[in-house]
Amino acid sequence: MPDESIRTLILATAILFAGISGFIIYFVVLYRNRQLKNKQEQAALQAAFQQELLRTQIEMQDQTLNYISGEIHDNITQVLSFVKLSLAMPKNAGESEKQLKIKESRELISQVITDLRDLSKSLSYDHITSLGLSKTIEIEVERINKSRLIDMSFILDGTPHSLGSQPELVLFRIFQEAVNNVLKHSGAKHFVARLQYQPDLFNLTLEDDGAGFSTDLQGDKNGSGLKNIINRAALIGGAATISSSPGKGCSIVVTFNPFKQQFYSDGPAHQNRFS
Amino acid sequence: MSFIAIVYCFLLLIAWTIGIARYSRLSAAFKILSWSFPVVFLCNIISPFWVDRFGNNAPILHVESLTDYVFFSATFYYLLKSKTTKKIVLISMVIVALFVVINAIYWQGFYKKFPTNVYFLTQPLLAIFSLLLFKEMLMYPLKINPVKQSAFWYNTAILFYATTMFFYLGLSNYFPEHNLHDHFFYYFWYLIFYVFDILLAVAILTDNQKTTLENA
Repeated sequence: MPDESIRTLILATAILFAGISGFIIYFVVLYRNRQLKNKQEQAALQAAFQQELLRTQIEMQDQTLNYISGEIHDNITQVLSFVKLSLAMPKNAGESEKQLKIKESRELISQVITDLRDLSKSLSYDHITSLGLSKTIEIEVERINKSRLIDMSFILDGTPHSLGSQPELVLFRIFQEAVNNVLKHSGAKHFVARLQYQPDLFNLTLEDDGAGFSTDLQGDKNGSGLKNIINRAALIGGAATISSSPGKGCSIVVTFNPFKQQFYSDGPAHQNRFS
Repeated sequence: MSFIAIVYCFLLLIAWTIGIARYSRLSAAFKILSWSFPVVFLCNIISPFWVDRFGNNAPILHVESLTDYVFFSATFYYLLKSKTTKKIVLISMVIVALFVVINAIYWQGFYKKFPTNVYFLTQPLLAIFSLLLFKEMLMYPLKINPVKQSAFWYNTAILFYATTMFFYLGLSNYFPEHNLHDHFFYYFWYLIFYVFDILLAVAILTDNQKTTLENA
C-alpha cells in the first residue's frame, strides 16, 4: 500500500513539474510570437511613416513649384518686360533721359536678382535642415508679408534648437497647411506664428482672426486640411489641438516633446535619449 | 549539518556573490532580491544550532517566512507596471506581516510549530503575482529573447517555488498519517530550494538595468 502511495506521489510530482515546464515553454513560444507581431507592426508603422514623409516632401515641392511659377509669371517676367520696354528708348531721347531709364532698369534688375535669390531659398526643403525650423518659418512669414495678402507676425520664445530634420519638416508642412487654409478660406487680416522652445517641449501656435468655423463641422472644406495637421502631428509623436468657433478665428497648437518621439523619428534629441 | 544542507548554503553563497559582483548593474528589483540570499543563508546557518539548543527551529522559520515574502513581493513591486497591482503588493506585505504575528501568537506557536499557515497564505499570493507579471510581460514585450530577461527567470523561479511548496505543504499532513518515508520529504524540500535558488541566481546573472531600458 505504501508503495502504491509513493507511486501516486511520484506521478503527481511529475505531473506538477511537467505542468510548470509546459506553462513556461508555452509562455516562451507566446512571447516570441508577440515579439514577432510587434516587430511586424513596427515595420509597417515605419513604412507608413516613410510614405507619409515622402508625401509631405512631394506636397512641399508642389507648393514650392506653384509658388515659383507664380513668382516668375507675376513678378519677375513683369519686371523684366518693363525693363525691356524701358530700355527700348526712342533714338532721339536725350542723354539725361537715357541715363534715367538705365538707372531705373538697373534698380529693377537688382530687385529681380533679390527676388530670384529669395526664390532659390524656396527651391528645396533641404533649407529647413540647414536653416532650422524657426528661421525657415521666419523667412516664410517675411515672404508672405511682402505679398501683402495678410499681415503675419512671427514670435519666437526661447532658444531655437534642432528637433530633428524629419519632425521639423513635418512641422513646417503643418505651418504651410495652416497658412494655406487661412489664405484660402478664412478671410483673416492677421496671422500669428509663435514658436516656443523649452528644453523638453516645443509648441507651435498658429492663430488667425478670420471667419472661424465650428469644430464639429470640419467635414467640408477645412476638414481634410485640419485632419492632415492632426495626423501629421501624431506622426512625429506630437499632438495638435484646433480651437475655433464661427467669427472668432482659429487657433492651432502643436505640442511636440522631442524626448517622446516615435521610435522612427530621427533627431539629436532621440539619439541622446539613451546615450 | 547534513551534506545536502551544506551544499545548499554553498549555493546561497554563490548566488549572493553574483549579486554583490553585479550589484551596480542590477535594477532596483534585483538589488533587493540579492539581499535575500544572505538572510536565508544566515537562517540556515543558525538553524542547526537552534535545533541543538531548543529542540526545533520554529522561531527561525517564522521569521524567515516573513522575510522571504517581503523580499519577493518587494521585487514584484519593482517589476510590475500596473499601479493597482503595485498597491495590492504593498497592502499584501502589511497583511502578511500582521498575519505572521497573529499566527505566531495564537495558532502556530512561535517556539513550537512550523508556520504552515503563513505559507498557505503567501505561496498562492506569490503564484498570483507571478502570473500577473507573466501577463504584463506578454502585454509589453521587450525586444530581447525572454530567456535573456531577468524578470522571466525570477518569475519562473517564483512560480516553481510557490506551486511546489504549496504541493509540499499539502503532502505534509498526508505523509505522517500514513507513516511514509520521512527522507523523501527531506530531499524533496531541498530539491525545491536548489532549483529555486539556481533560478534566482540566473535571474540576477541576466539582469541588466541598461539592457532592459534600451530594449523597452
